[in-house]
Amino acid sequence: MELLHVALAVLFVPLGIAGLLMIVAPLRRSGRAAGVLSVLGSLFALAGSLYLFAALFGASGSELDRLTTTWLPHARLGAGRLASPIELGVLLDGISVSMLVVVCFVACMVQIFSLGYMSHEPPADFGRYFTWQSLFLFAMNTLVIAPNLLQLFLGWELVGLASYLLIGFYFRKPSAARAAVKAFWMTKLADMGLIAGLIVLFRETGTFDWTVTTPAATVVTFLLFIAVMGKSAQFPLHVWLPDAMEGPTPVSALLHAATMVAAGVFLIVRADPLFAQAAFTREFMLYIGAFTALFAACIAVVQSDIKKVLAYSTCSQLGYMVAALGAGSQVAGFFHLTTHAFFKALLFLAAGSLIHAVHSNELRQMGGLFSKMKLTSICFIVGALALAGIPGLSGFFSKDLILEVVLARGAYVPLAALLVAAFLTAFYMGRVVLLALFGAPSEAAGHAHESGVSMTLPLVLLSVLALGSGYAGAQLSGLYAEPVHFHLSTIGIVATGLALTGIAVSFWMFGPAKGGAAVQAAFAPLGRVARSGAVDQLYLLGYRRGLRGLAAGAAWFDRYMIDGAINAAAYGTLELGGRLRRLQNGDVQTYLYVVAMAAVLFALAGLVGVG
Amino acid sequence: MELTHYLLLAAALFSLGLYGVASRPNAVGLLASIELMANAVNLNLVAFSRFQGQQTGQIFALFATAITVAEVVVGLALVIVLFRSRGDVRLDLAKELKG
Repeated sequence: MELLHVALAVLFVPLGIAGLLMIVAPLRRSGRAAGVLSVLGSLFALAGSLYLFAALFGASGSELDRLTTTWLPHARLGAGRLASPIELGVLLDGISVSMLVVVCFVACMVQIFSLGYMSHEPPADFGRYFTWQSLFLFAMNTLVIAPNLLQLFLGWELVGLASYLLIGFYFRKPSAARAAVKAFWMTKLADMGLIAGLIVLFRETGTFDWTVTTPAATVVTFLLFIAVMGKSAQFPLHVWLPDAMEGPTPVSALLHAATMVAAGVFLIVRADPLFAQAAFTREFMLYIGAFTALFAACIAVVQSDIKKVLAYSTCSQLGYMVAALGAGSQVAGFFHLTTHAFFKALLFLAAGSLIHAVHSNELRQMGGLFSKMKLTSICFIVGALALAGIPGLSGFFSKDLILEVVLARGAYVPLAALLVAAFLTAFYMGRVVLLALFGAPSEAAGHAHESGVSMTLPLVLLSVLALGSGYAGAQLSGLYAEPVHFHLSTIGIVATGLALTGIAVSFWMFGPAKGGAAVQAAFAPLGRVARSGAVDQLYLLGYRRGLRGLAAGAAWFDRYMIDGAINAAAYGTLELGGRLRRLQNGDVQTYLYVVAMAAVLFALAGLVGVG
Repeated sequence: MELTHYLLLAAALFSLGLYGVASRPNAVGLLASIELMANAVNLNLVAFSRFQGQQTGQIFALFATAITVAEVVVGLALVIVLFRSRGDVRLDLAKELKG
């Protein structure tokens, strides 16, 4: 089989299913059939991507295959310079194929999980859900296998659309509709950077290729990074991600934890040759990433909603990836993206299973679920330990690698932030586990029971990867030119110590001993600040003061300057007409006289030779 | 008699006609004044024809007379309409189109 045919099938089968479900309304409204069809599509995509992944190991170089078709053949730059033809197509190499596997695998797990999780929805909504799921899979794969930044941009916008549709899945609920619009606005605002970056790149080089060398690389990459900050929820453009938790939990797992938000990180990995030319952008990324990692981890500590904890944790982990890429290590960032995709999807799906059982997101409504839902709980704990970076689990390897590259870069301030974030990560995950799974059961938790097999099977499969995908790191690094050595380093031991301390502290505070009430009381004001959504308030203030002020200014200018000029012209015409009409006195003899006199004047002028 | 005498006479007639046009308040008088101007021109034509030995000017004068008659018909028709609508033919009072 031709690899390209497989890749095209992986791309277009989900699109075909999404299109079918969109057009054939009875099929979509039937619910169950639509769901099964969509799951089959994702299974097909998973099989195809695994086939491509297997081919990757037999290949000699890192690039497997490339197929492009010319989209715009005769693009012109200014001054008659011809640009190279703009192409669309498929690029299969180490990065795209491994990302393809991650996306297809998580998507497949999430869709199977959704069959159980969404089963109480009305059939029409159920079908709509899977339509958007299939559309998302197509959009994400378009982005992943893009051979140039323009196609990546197309996929980027399409996943944004799918994200909007899926966050707003419960659009009858005002808060969900608001969250969808907010996510759309924030990411579109950031996407202005991507558009601007592409325009600058195209003007400078006449191509959308990321391998070009250009003096404008700093400007281009900085603009691209603005879009990354929006998509990958980096401070200060992260505010949409916690609100996006209004969507169904499997959507949060797929889009807002594992794949779509990682698209930003993927863009940096993809355009690494460009970013390598921009030292300033990388420095900026390092600090933004480290700050986001710490900042979001702090907020995650005080959240009472299990999904919000995971959402801020996602922000924080994306910060790790951005910091790693800022430190110049493609492998560290991408490796953490991969492991994070697995364990965070696992955490979200397990959380979904818990939420499904108690019908609430609140940690207070849970408690003591371990005895009721053993399988889900164990999977959740595996995910939490992987996230906390306990040695032997996937998160440990990738986080350790990131800390190492940041240390090697000599950036001690970001390194300190990342280490504190590692401690906080272990702490808040310990807190969630203890509050949700152990302790006194709430009333709702008393009636909880284990979820069905369509929900537990994906959990188990993802647990296997959350446990084991860390060992694939060495293989993964073989796909790049960059050599990476995995070994137990000093920084790894420090991070592990911090993680264990974090877990111990959480056990002390939220375990049976219920110690640390004094600590909780001491940190209460800080918690209130973190929960108040200060960044949101700043945006609101910016909106009220800045944007409305600007709008008022524009309105004033329009009313008094532009309208004023038009009114002045109209008034002047009227006034001139009013004066000129005096000439028309209505006396026909005066007119005749004027005509005669004018004739005489012209005749005289002719005689003296003026004309 | 020389050509100049005829031309002076025609100029005098034309000026009289122009004065009438500009000053007569009565529409019929105005039409008569226009006739005077037209015939001053005709006189010029005939005079030039006579002194240059060509017949063109005389033929032209005949045509001009015919056209003037037609014009007077139209003018009188307007005067009648004016009289019917206003009850008099004083032009200095007919100023409905005053701006």
